[in-house]
Amino acid sequence: MKTNFLNLQLNSPLVLASGILGLTASSMKRVVDNSCGAVTTKSFNLEARKGHPNPSIVPFEHGLLNAVGLSNPGAEEAIKEIERFKQVSDAPVFASIFGRTIDEYGKVAEIAVKAKPHLIEVNVSCPNVRSEFGTPFGDVPEDTAAITRLVKQVAGDIPVSIKLGPHGPGIARMAKVCEENGADAITAINTVGPGMLIDINVQKPVLSNKTGGVSGPAILPIAVKSVYEVYKNVSIPIIGTGGVTHWQDAVQMILAGASLVSLGTAVYYEGIDVFNKINMGIQTYLEKFGYESIEDFRGGAH
Amino acid sequence: MQTFPIQKIVEHGPGVKSFYFEQTFEALPGQFVNLWIPGVDEKPFSISCEQNGLTEISVKAYGPFTQELMKKKVGERLGLRGPFGHGFSLKENSLLIGGGIGIAPLRRLAQELSDLGMRFVSLLGAATEHELIFKSHFQEISTCYFYTDDGSFGEKGLVTEHLLQIIQDEKIEYIYAAGPEIMFVKVKELIDPLSIPYEFCMERYMKCGIGICGQCVLDDSGVRLCVEGPVLNQDDLKGVTELGKVHRNATGRRE
Repeated sequence: MKTNFLNLQLNSPLVLASGILGLTASSMKRVVDNSCGAVTTKSFNLEARKGHPNPSIVPFEHGLLNAVGLSNPGAEEAIKEIERFKQVSDAPVFASIFGRTIDEYGKVAEIAVKAKPHLIEVNVSCPNVRSEFGTPFGDVPEDTAAITRLVKQVAGDIPVSIKLGPHGPGIARMAKVCEENGADAITAINTVGPGMLIDINVQKPVLSNKTGGVSGPAILPIAVKSVYEVYKNVSIPIIGTGGVTHWQDAVQMILAGASLVSLGTAVYYEGIDVFNKINMGIQTYLEKFGYESIEDFRGGAH
Repeated sequence: MQTFPIQKIVEHGPGVKSFYFEQTFEALPGQFVNLWIPGVDEKPFSISCEQNGLTEISVKAYGPFTQELMKKKVGERLGLRGPFGHGFSLKENSLLIGGGIGIAPLRRLAQELSDLGMRFVSLLGAATEHELIFKSHFQEISTCYFYTDDGSFGEKGLVTEHLLQIIQDEKIEYIYAAGPEIMFVKVKELIDPLSIPYEFCMERYMKCGIGICGQCVLDDSGVRLCVEGPVLNQDDLKGVTELGKVHRNATGRRE
């Protein structure tokens, strides 16, 4: 299912979301071999981070609660994996970056561009490092504006997408701030929360970090609504993500206005094969309604 | 997360203990559970026995987590979730090669093979006698060859010392191994030319245990050790270029 996005051509509108199977080239290659259109690396910053101790990812009835804590091998090591991936695959690779400070975003982006990723996704909305970083930059319009300008300055020809969460002063308003400051796309949304689960016998929170971001089916309605609102408020394209598990969820995202749809937690429920299954489902939907491509129904719910 | 009080603790020797929990996971031999010490961390461990409604996990003190585990007492609650991963297949006329605490998952395999009436031979090695855990149990149900680094039990030396001879003498048709990675490298080198199929039970740093975080993916195969492993066969291992060379730490960096 050929899909155009910005200046890119993808074999599918589906993208591997950041934080899932995106640590290494071999892992991302395997996802592309299962019909994923593009892959996003695990978020990285300047220095290597261990992240939070385990348990860092725990399932509950309607999704996952995670506080991995932005573990990553550091930007210089992370771009080696992007370079390796580009040697073994033609699929676009998106570099997900973050910083502990606004300035660090610029420095990490400088390193990221060396590997020439097809897009830089700027994570300003991770909800599980509040204890360390405080309020996410993505909740503060001035900070988000500054980070967007900084990364755009460094990125050159490489398009930049800002990954926003559903919190803060409103995602539609924040998306507008990004657009006004030069962003080429919006990724909506990050995990939701933070949330908490408590073990009733130990009588303590299960996550070592106590709180973490919620993903999976539980957050699909929040994600669909967020994409819908962003689509109304900006004209740059949207990578819709959050709780997409089945093809019907992906179709909802596209009807709300997403140009691409990212999957992460779905791999837990449906296996790596989930990309094949959702592609097939979307194809059947196109045929049923007589559409030629997903562009024919994008934003159709408005 | 489900938590269970420790029912019983058996000390095999200094720094080697088995912990028993009143819960069964109906795990296949080689599958693992994630063990949570509340307030500390959570790590993957293979199951060494499931019998009479009890699950046994056998641990050697090695790093900060296992040191902490050694301090736990009967009645204290630990979290267990699983079973995770892909276990051993069950084959006739097999050789079980265990090194150190790698004997733990083989104990479960040996029990299963024995229950099914399948013939197998055990080749077990460790640093010293008390680390040859379950040796009398293996002796009861199979022909055994023992090795220790210090010669305190069995022959002095490594399990690979007379491996080819044992394979020939015992008419071995299938090989299972669990232990340190350096042992896999040596075993693989010796048995690859024989075309005898084999399975290794491997270890990597893990976070989620459910195949999504990517932490335990093996270069260049893309195999997720927590889902497609921890037991890999000779075909799975063909694409693995990091065996005995590098692994990834908690940050994801190769070391």
